[in-house]
Amino acid sequence: MNKDQLLKKRYRAEKRFKFYGLVSITLAILFVIFLVNVIFSKGRAAFQRTTIAVEVNFNTEELELSSNASIEEIQDADFYDLSINSLLKLYKTEGAKQEKELLRVFSPDHDIEIKNFLIKNLDNLNKNVIVNLTTSDDIDQLHKGNYPRHLPEERRRISDFQLLIYDQLVKENKVNKVFNTFFFTNGDSRNPEVAGIGGSLFGSFFTIIITLILSFPIAIFASIYLEEFAPKNRITDFIEININNLAAVPSIVFGLLGLGILLGTFDLPRSTPLVAGITLSLMTLPRIIIPCRASLKAVPPSIREGALAVGASKVQSVMHHVVPLSIPGTLSGTIIGLAQALGETAPLILIGMVAFVVDIPATPIDPSASLPVQVYLWSEQAERGFVEKTSATIMVLLSFLIVMNFIAVYLRQKFEKKWS
Amino acid sequence: MINNKVKIKTTNLNVYYGDKQALNDVNLEIHSKEVTALIGPSGCGKSTYIRCINRMNDVIDICRVTGSIEIDGNEINKKEIDVVSLREKIGMVFQKPNPFPKSIYDNVSYGPNIHGLAENKVKMDEIVETSLKKAALWNEVKDRLNEPGTSLSGGQQQRLCIARAISVNPEVILMDEPCSALDPIATAKIEELMDELKKSYTIVIVTHSMSQAVRVSQRTGFFHLGKLIEVDTTEKIFKNPNNKMTQDYITGRFG
Ligand SMILES: Nc1ncnc2c1ncn2[C@@H]1O[C@H](COP(=O)(O)OP(=O)(O)OP(=O)(O)O)[C@@H](O)[C@H]1O
Ligand SMILES: [Mg+2]
Repeated sequence: MNKDQLLKKRYRAEKRFKFYGLVSITLAILFVIFLVNVIFSKGRAAFQRTTIAVEVNFNTEELELSSNASIEEIQDADFYDLSINSLLKLYKTEGAKQEKELLRVFSPDHDIEIKNFLIKNLDNLNKNVIVNLTTSDDIDQLHKGNYPRHLPEERRRISDFQLLIYDQLVKENKVNKVFNTFFFTNGDSRNPEVAGIGGSLFGSFFTIIITLILSFPIAIFASIYLEEFAPKNRITDFIEININNLAAVPSIVFGLLGLGILLGTFDLPRSTPLVAGITLSLMTLPRIIIPCRASLKAVPPSIREGALAVGASKVQSVMHHVVPLSIPGTLSGTIIGLAQALGETAPLILIGMVAFVVDIPATPIDPSASLPVQVYLWSEQAERGFVEKTSATIMVLLSFLIVMNFIAVYLRQKFEKKWS
Repeated sequence: MINNKVKIKTTNLNVYYGDKQALNDVNLEIHSKEVTALIGPSGCGKSTYIRCINRMNDVIDICRVTGSIEIDGNEINKKEIDVVSLREKIGMVFQKPNPFPKSIYDNVSYGPNIHGLAENKVKMDEIVETSLKKAALWNEVKDRLNEPGTSLSGGQQQRLCIARAISVNPEVILMDEPCSALDPIATAKIEELMDELKKSYTIVIVTHSMSQAVRVSQRTGFFHLGKLIEVDTTEKIFKNPNNKMTQDYITGRFG
């Protein structure tokens, strides 16, 4: 082969290589777009809630309240009759069956919704006001255009009569779509139209805080000790190998550990962020120690020698020079470790975080769900409302992860730029 | 000109890195307030030797040092010696400038700070200023003391490292090829500086440049394969060495 042919061959090889690279990147981007698109198109609707405007007369006599009732008094009052009466006025019904069908257009807790409205707007006592009440999941889906209304009646969950009501109300401009704050403030529910991730948001928050509090200091001290002070011998080699092994242990094994030791031996409360946090700390520790040690190792030895040579002690050289330089790597490692913990599902299922919890946890020792487990729970439900909420929860979870990863990248760049 | 007070004396100094012997029975006297140059081919153990004097080899796990190292007649190669106060007395400048990634001011004030040499800010400013002046860097950096030390040029960084070394007022300064990364002008500045510094400090310098050894040092030691082959006044070594190997090395026949 002569020089010319060699040159051509080299160019061809380079072109081919670039082509492979481009193809892989394009494929990767397409997958991401596909994924985001699927989740987004399914989940978007969950951020909207369908409501129907209902006229309610907050007559204190009928409600058996004093004319300037306090919040406590209202809390204790029964709004059921008022609620039923207001709803039945919407459309003319004949017989109990039609009445029932009319009520079923709304979410079952309409009386509580009315009560909460009054508590928020106390000056509406003794007035006739319009309240927007949440519709049932089926009507919600119908209004969002996801409901197969062309099917014959016996194959639909919405009856012909309900369709009549719905169409009439739409004509009267009483059906509205509003931003679904319930999705963020409510706990879980059997009724998809009012189910929310409030509980799992708090659960995840408490869990991550506990994981951070437990794993960050331990990981930092462990990595500083191992990297800077520990003698290099068989024991430290053994520890090193095991840390790497632990980082690769499937997360469900840590769940078993939490189940056996934390719940079994120590009898800690089930389904709580406390247990979840401890379990996830065990899992996260090695995953934080590894990047921490790497960032300590990346500090050039000449910096250590420079400090030692002016008479700094070992601890001083590490604390004054090595650790500050390793901060960006350490922080971003920690954040990425926490982000992994945030998305972790399997170990939480084992420690009982799959329980159906309606109340929003106030402390880390209250039973609670967490975001990924909420996804898992809802994904098993058949109702369309849960399907869109599953995707919406994934969107929330993903946005947290993306924000955390951005913070990690930002911290690394910000601190590294400062001195070089 | 030639000073006869011995500052550092090593007797039967042997150094091993694991099984490998890097220094072999080195007996060398370094005289007070003069510049001693150590020369020799690469890998002969010059760096290893000066790192023994401030016990920097302690940092290397596999390194073992036997024999005696005396400073002002006090043995320092023993466990009970506090290496921190030893290194306060014996400063070191490395081959590659290694300023801390902190401000110029903090680079110089770090040593005095950890040893509590300045009781207040005014005193510290004074130490920083005199150290930078002694290192002939003051005029270039006095307006930018808060800028990072790493933003200086290579030669300036090396002088900053010298200022850092003298900030704790050591008795000895060890320099391991301090000019190997510098251009001739920066080198000339540092050589000038050594002339000045030797009035108050004992200096040991490792160098690969024969001409530099001739210019700055009063005494020269020649190492080869871990052994000290010959040590004498610089004049004698370069004009009329006793050993054939020394002769060959300084005339560039090997190394
Ligand atoms: N940390 C170390 N671990 C193992 N061996 C080492 C270590 N440092 C130095 N050595 C060995 O000790 C011998 C002397 O090395 P030293 O660095 O003292 O040489 P030198 O004279 O300073 O060379 P140069 O002029 O190239 O800097 C060399 O053979 C080297 O391989
Ligand atoms: Mg060397």
